[in-house]
Amino acid sequence: MLWKDLRLCQHYSTSVSGKVYCSVFAFDHCFWSMDEKNTEKYAGQEVVFKCLGEGILDNAFQGYNACIFAYGQTGSGKSFSMMGTADQPGLIPRLCCALFLRAAEEENDSQTFKVEVSYMEIYNEKVRDLLDPKGNRQSLKVREHKVLGPYVDGLSQLAVTKFEDIESLMSEGNKSRTVAATNMNEESSRSHAVFNIILTQTLFDHQSGNSGERVSKVSLVDLAGSERVSKTGAAGERLKEGSNINKSLTTLGLVISSLADQAAGKGKSKFVPYRDSVLTWLLKDNLGGNSKTAMIATISPAADNYEETLSTLRYADRAKRIVNHAVVNEDPNARVIRELREEVEKLKEQLSQAESMKAPELKEKLEESEKLIRELTITWEEKLRKTEAIAQERQKQLESMGISLQSSGIKVGDDKCYLVNLNADPALNELLVYYLKCHSAAEMRQKHVIAHDCINKVLSKPNTRKCQKQSSFDNEKINIFKKSDLYKSTHTLKKNYITWLSPKSYIELQSK
Amino acid sequence: MTEPMEKTDGHPEGHRDLPLPMADSWQAACDVYQRAITASEVESKTDPENEPYRSKYRARELLREVRALLAPGAEEESGRQGGSQGDEGDEEEEEEDHGRLQAARLAVIEFRLGVNHTVTEELSAGEEHLVKAVRLLERSRMSPDCVSIYVQAQNELGILWSDRGEIIIAQTYLESAESLYCQYMKKIGKPPTDPDEFFTLEEQTVTEQERAKRSVIHHPPPILLLSNRFGLRFERIYTHTLYYLAQVYQHLKQYDKAAQYCHTTLQRQLEYDGYKPVEWAINAATLSQYYLAKQYYMEARHCLAASTVLFSKAGKIPSPEAAKETDESEQERLDHLRQKKAEIARCWIKYCLNLLADARKQLEDNIGELHVDLQEELKAERKKQEDEKENGRKKAVLFGSSDLYDSILAVEEKVDCSLPLDFKEAREVFSPKEYFELDGHVTDHIEVIQDHSALFKVLAFFEEDYERRCKMHKRRVDMLEPICKELNPQYYLLICRQLQFELADTYYEMMDLKVAIGNKLDEMDSHTIKKINSLAQSAIKFYEMFLDSLRSPDKKFPEKLEDDVLRPALVAKFHIARLYGKLITADVKKQLENMQISLNYYFFVVSYCADHEEAVKSVETELELTKEMVALLPARMERLRMQLSSFS
Repeated sequence: MLWKDLRLCQHYSTSVSGKVYCSVFAFDHCFWSMDEKNTEKYAGQEVVFKCLGEGILDNAFQGYNACIFAYGQTGSGKSFSMMGTADQPGLIPRLCCALFLRAAEEENDSQTFKVEVSYMEIYNEKVRDLLDPKGNRQSLKVREHKVLGPYVDGLSQLAVTKFEDIESLMSEGNKSRTVAATNMNEESSRSHAVFNIILTQTLFDHQSGNSGERVSKVSLVDLAGSERVSKTGAAGERLKEGSNINKSLTTLGLVISSLADQAAGKGKSKFVPYRDSVLTWLLKDNLGGNSKTAMIATISPAADNYEETLSTLRYADRAKRIVNHAVVNEDPNARVIRELREEVEKLKEQLSQAESMKAPELKEKLEESEKLIRELTITWEEKLRKTEAIAQERQKQLESMGISLQSSGIKVGDDKCYLVNLNADPALNELLVYYLKCHSAAEMRQKHVIAHDCINKVLSKPNTRKCQKQSSFDNEKINIFKKSDLYKSTHTLKKNYITWLSPKSYIELQSK
Repeated sequence: MTEPMEKTDGHPEGHRDLPLPMADSWQAACDVYQRAITASEVESKTDPENEPYRSKYRARELLREVRALLAPGAEEESGRQGGSQGDEGDEEEEEEDHGRLQAARLAVIEFRLGVNHTVTEELSAGEEHLVKAVRLLERSRMSPDCVSIYVQAQNELGILWSDRGEIIIAQTYLESAESLYCQYMKKIGKPPTDPDEFFTLEEQTVTEQERAKRSVIHHPPPILLLSNRFGLRFERIYTHTLYYLAQVYQHLKQYDKAAQYCHTTLQRQLEYDGYKPVEWAINAATLSQYYLAKQYYMEARHCLAASTVLFSKAGKIPSPEAAKETDESEQERLDHLRQKKAEIARCWIKYCLNLLADARKQLEDNIGELHVDLQEELKAERKKQEDEKENGRKKAVLFGSSDLYDSILAVEEKVDCSLPLDFKEAREVFSPKEYFELDGHVTDHIEVIQDHSALFKVLAFFEEDYERRCKMHKRRVDMLEPICKELNPQYYLLICRQLQFELADTYYEMMDLKVAIGNKLDEMDSHTIKKINSLAQSAIKFYEMFLDSLRSPDKKFPEKLEDDVLRPALVAKFHIARLYGKLITADVKKQLENMQISLNYYFFVVSYCADHEEAVKSVETELELTKEMVALLPARMERLRMQLSSFS
């Protein structure tokens, strides 16, 4: 499962030739956090955490890996989003706090939690441990274990119990990162930093006395500042965006491998040697399968950062599509199909033989079972759909009779005149509405009053069989019939209107 | 090429007939030019982060200074006019030469300024300078003095326009550079002057003969001069033109052309010696994968053979034991080499695999069996084509100078590049490769195993003997089953699924073969029956494992299958249904049970497709049959039940 969180943006630029280009990107979330005072638009740290952090946390507690990438120009708020400030903590502190809180909540005598962290830096395809107390500058090897997954050989993994521990380790690591950068005359923003939080849940089954472990890893990746990569080209060769041409022949390999990559012959299997490998390697398990991955691309709204912004968005858009697609290759089924076809034919033949040998009983049974199958084939949803369709049909029919049926109470148009049923049982009251068709509103309101009058009278004398009411309204008569006469009257007296009063009687409005 | 300069002997009066500024100012110009180059190429590397272009800006100032020295107060003048300032009444031809030389010098400065502006992100100014350089040389672009700057300026303009997103304009510039190179080499062919050579003082400038003679050159910049021996720098500039064109064609989605230009770029790297063997080998191996996808086997093989040869030039890889004794950086280097070697080998495996798979596709009939008539037909046809093949070979771009070429050819000869037509030929393609232990590289290791398994599978197609074919599939099982069991699906979920599915398919295949073998017997013996049943059960087991891997954490089977597993999942269900139908048992009750299970699985497929219409098209044929089975099986079962009751 893969979901990404980025910004939705539109870009307009005028090219040299005067054409206006518009680039549209679509991302899952888009946070605007330029001005705190604009409370309507402003997305604070809490909002970002709600959208990204919680899903990640759930996943981790279910035993799956999770990963958050941050990418963007230096100064566009990458660190602010990830780390934040003391009074506005970012994603990482919030995530850690929530993690410890939840671990404490869920801990009991049958499950315990353990949290460890590691911190490393990837520079020029070399991995360095940022938490190594000895400050060892030696580069580490990336390896894979069949049970434990990808790992860095010799990377220190330190146990932590609260967020403060993590915080201090992180700042230690960052210090070490800066020191190294100064020593080696390189810039920290050219390297990627990966902070891992490893959550181990030990589940203990009291009955059997067995215990099991569930390990999940949350990786927080700070990708090298985008502008360094493009300007200096130093931090690992990278292909340029869009239609640009790479100048140096050192990128020939990249050009060729992208050529080989896109040449997707049908059913062709090929091997394209990895290039920018270490990071891809380490995050392999995060880009596919059950892992959850979020990518945060931070961009600056300033106009003079246009190029950077566009390239960040392009990068993010591309990253969105990097899913580890290890597709299951199944063979064409040609033989299986042929065989089955033969069997089907054989079965059919057997059946027709059995029929001709006259086995009406068998045929009957077959039909029966076929019907059964047909019924079985109907899924629950289909059944619901059918039920629904039947209900609709019924309603339509009633409507065509002029009766409107609503599931709860009645709803009527203001400009329409109608009669409703009344019933001694309040639960059955006013369930049916009968629209009066061809009279003006004023007329009918009056008529309604009469009808109600009448109804009330009828109700007080429920046993009246047929009461010819004198109407104050000039040319109408109100008749009360027994229910059994209903159909007759609707059929014969087309201009009469009826309202049900009780199960047994109704009113007839008769126009002269 | 630098004729006029040779006439000068270092004395001021020597300049009498030259269109040069005074000797002092000429010396100053050369000096300033060198300082500009140093600032731009060397010092700029240590510029502080907050002033990334400090040295570049300095270089720009210096270049402007040179321009002022060259043509005082007349920087906008054309080269022709600038040329006439030094002298008045000399021969026409000489004057022409002077003019050209002066123009060339100015063009070099304009070119440098153009590049300088481009790298400091001032594209419009950069373009202006570059265009000026081109304009200065337009008339004499075919002369040895001018051609190199002209081509370089066009290269730069190509890049500039590509940065602006105008790839077609870039293409125009680069193609014009390409054709100028070709014309020049055809008509003139003399190694041209390199831009930097214009600004060396006369004692540093040497004739071609002298260059060859002199082994030591005392004054800077000797490296520049040496590297332009026999016009090497010009050749490299053209190599870049081709490389840029490769990228242009790639952006324009003319992939074959892009590949061809990459191929030529590689070839020129070999010829003009500007490459690192390992990197080159990897690039060539990667290019082979492009050709594979396009079924250009001859080109692919050529790339791979060259890759192998070039890699061997990078030095021998000592055995792991010997390597242990070397120091760490050396060990790292060897590690790297081993990895690269394995990568090239994997490219070779893919080559064999694709070649065999294509051969199989060509030879199989509609149910995936060897089509014997077709085989004969193709063999006859191939005899006819042998000659044509030789012709085709000559058309392909070949790598390497003569010494390399022979070794590449020797490697090529070991592997066929035409589709094999029978088992013997197929096995030759599959000359068992070195096995690569990728310690700590689980995915790579598994991918190699998967490739191996795939090789055996396609090879089995060519094997006519069922028993032997079955054994080949057994080998696949033996390779795949252990890793499938060990691998942690938390980290390798997708690989696990692939392995499970492949194992299931392989067991299915083996069962089919056993059935076929059994059917040839008069009566199936109990051993064969047992074997068939156990193979079917194994296949079922792995299909089920695959299906289980789709379940959510709370073990529920998804209501809606993801696109990438939709067909595999339905096919797995379909196959399980089929397998239950194939289990052999004499016990009618058991038989009924199996049929019921089978029916349930068929039923799943039918009802899933009924609920999710979009699934129908991915399993059309299967679904049609499945529906029939759902309709027919109950009757069959009923008959069995009746049989059962009449017997009891």
